[in-house]
Amino acid sequence: MKRKRLQVLGVPIFLIAVLLIAFPAKAISGAAALTQDERVLLSHLPDQQIGKEYPQGETINVGFLAALSGPDAGWGLPGLTGNQIWIDTVNKTGGLLVGGKRYPLKMYTFDDEANASKALQGARQLVLEHDVKFISAIGGDPANATAPFLTKHKVIYASLVPTDMNPKRPYVVAGGDVTPQCNMFNALMAKMVLPSEKELGRPLKYALTTQDDIMSRQVGAWEIGAAIAMGFDIVYEKFFSVDTTDFAPIVTAMMATKPDVISLCEAWPEYQTLLWEQLYLQGYKGVVVQNYADWETNLTKIPPEYPAARHAIDSFPLMDDPWWGAYSWQASFTRLWNARYGPGAPEDVHRRMTGIDWDHVVWLIPWCIGAQVAGKDTPGKWPSNDAILAALRKMPSFPTILGPGHMSGKEMFGIQNMIEQPVPMNMFDLKAKDKRIVAHLNFEPWFKAIKPVVMKAVKDRGQYYTQRK
Amino acid sequence: MSSQLFIQTVANAIAASGMLALIAVGLTLAFGVMQMANLAHGHFFMAGAYTVYALYALAGWPFWWAVAAAVAVGALLGLIVERGVFRPLQGDVVSGFIATAGLMFVFEVLVGEIWGWGLSRPIPSPYMRAFRFMGAAVAFQRVLVIPFAVVSIGGLMVFMRRFRLGRALRAVAQDPEAAALQGININRMTALALAIAGAYAGLAGGLMSTIYAVTPSLGGHIILPALIVVVVGGMGSIEGVTLAALIFGFVMTFVTTLVDGVTAVMVSVTVMALVLAIRPQGLMGRVVA
Repeated sequence: MKRKRLQVLGVPIFLIAVLLIAFPAKAISGAAALTQDERVLLSHLPDQQIGKEYPQGETINVGFLAALSGPDAGWGLPGLTGNQIWIDTVNKTGGLLVGGKRYPLKMYTFDDEANASKALQGARQLVLEHDVKFISAIGGDPANATAPFLTKHKVIYASLVPTDMNPKRPYVVAGGDVTPQCNMFNALMAKMVLPSEKELGRPLKYALTTQDDIMSRQVGAWEIGAAIAMGFDIVYEKFFSVDTTDFAPIVTAMMATKPDVISLCEAWPEYQTLLWEQLYLQGYKGVVVQNYADWETNLTKIPPEYPAARHAIDSFPLMDDPWWGAYSWQASFTRLWNARYGPGAPEDVHRRMTGIDWDHVVWLIPWCIGAQVAGKDTPGKWPSNDAILAALRKMPSFPTILGPGHMSGKEMFGIQNMIEQPVPMNMFDLKAKDKRIVAHLNFEPWFKAIKPVVMKAVKDRGQYYTQRK
Repeated sequence: MSSQLFIQTVANAIAASGMLALIAVGLTLAFGVMQMANLAHGHFFMAGAYTVYALYALAGWPFWWAVAAAVAVGALLGLIVERGVFRPLQGDVVSGFIATAGLMFVFEVLVGEIWGWGLSRPIPSPYMRAFRFMGAAVAFQRVLVIPFAVVSIGGLMVFMRRFRLGRALRAVAQDPEAAALQGININRMTALALAIAGAYAGLAGGLMSTIYAVTPSLGGHIILPALIVVVVGGMGSIEGVTLAALIFGFVMTFVTTLVDGVTAVMVSVTVMALVLAIRPQGLMGRVVA
């Protein structure tokens, strides 16, 4: 009788034991499905607790509101890949662990074509239809158009340029891609590769051109300020229409001023290729600097020896740059990117990885970090964006794609909404036929030394945040 | 302005004028014969550029074979549009205008779906060098446009004057009813006009595919300057288009060089307004060559 009772109880006991073992095993096996590179990617999160079970929270939606077509698409479209890799990797662990719950992330996109009215339409759709809490964007005119609406709804708008920041826009954040700091460093780097004024017997000359939009006017002012601080004479500072198709006269006009440095500043990806072509064909022999160079496209128009001779200074490094090291976060990102989007990969984008593929996720990750830190104070609830920003501001340092970062920006832009991080500077490398990091610079001490000159130049051009409407 | 700067600017202006003329001449021919503006003309140009992208950049064809194919594609598109859009709407100017505006979007979406939106298609320059003359340097690719523009426009003018079909086209442009009474098949002439216009646009697009950024919206960027040149030159006048292309090529280039690109656009529009205020029919507002 006793034996029979044991036999009867044995089945349910066995089943319960199997269930008790299966659930944690499932969680463990889910974590084991993460590759080493994915684990490296997630190492930036302070508290993801991979493999541990937590209750599921609701899906947190993020938006991508940028030019996905048109001449500015080069700064928007590639960014989708980096964001998606991050989101999918986080989701593989069940979601972002915040306040004791795992929240899956989901991205919704809208093509604003760098157009202000379309951007506002997109912001409305993303917020009202999809309840996004964070938006990756390029900025400029779209930032101006969307700021009132997004401020009202307390949605973070991660612009690429801190010049969009303003105390009246508490949810516009920036700094992820180190503009305009890298533009300002262009003047320093150019000075380092040129002969001195003493050797030449005259001041060095700086020419700048870029398309006429809000972002470029703002960034251009900071860059010119830095160039003046570095001792350059500004011999050309003009903006071309965004409808320009013929860049020959623009380059002719710049070269007539006989500059030692030509800056393409914030020239959109399509435009910088055509400008480079004209510089080559018209025989410019000085240094060329810019915010972002797309060498895969540029080298269809000019031979590699030409940019090598021009030094071709820009920022937005490649994640497969040997500078980072084979076991770095950047190397892991590169491997993940190539496995998913590279040649022959399931979502082959038919191009090499660029400096924009990581350019938007560079703010998405700190937002996730901030959510985890702020979430400790609101267990069981997703924290507000105010709390997330406050948490980030309190942290003396947090990891970013480009190195340790902290929140900054009060002095330059009136609000502490900018990530300050090391600024990688590239030059064109003939052997690699691409850009390579040559320096990783610390902005704040340098800016402190040149601040009065820079601020005067920015204010003279009406581009300080207090002067902009 | 130094002499070197002047020579370089003149060289840039000549190249720009040649490009404008080659783009606009087909549009004015079509307008002269059909009395309707083909807003999709810029997208014939875009189709020519994408033909070169597909055949030369992707499939590895020799550049000039790809350009020849672009001409054929442009001509074919012209025939299709004439048969499918213009012929049913003959005489209805407003409907024709709206229909071609709709065609613009159709072409743009079609190309975007086939070759992707977003980033421009990189087309390697077959001649990565400059033509140098008296110290001026102009991209060889741009210089090539000039003889093509001269030969194409000159050839068209000879065709319109010396050949029976050309004279028939002129007759239809001047008076379609009288031409029909003379036994000229109107539909055949409009088809011929659109085929030639499309071929010219395809040629321009193919030749300039390495000069412009090739995206599905390329046609939209091209049609506006082309329309301005056609309107100012005189709708239907090939000589007028050539003269207007020269004027605007020089105005845009000189003002951009001496002042800036934004002012150049303002000055161009002002010039257009002044010309039309003085001569509403355009500089040489006649239908025939």
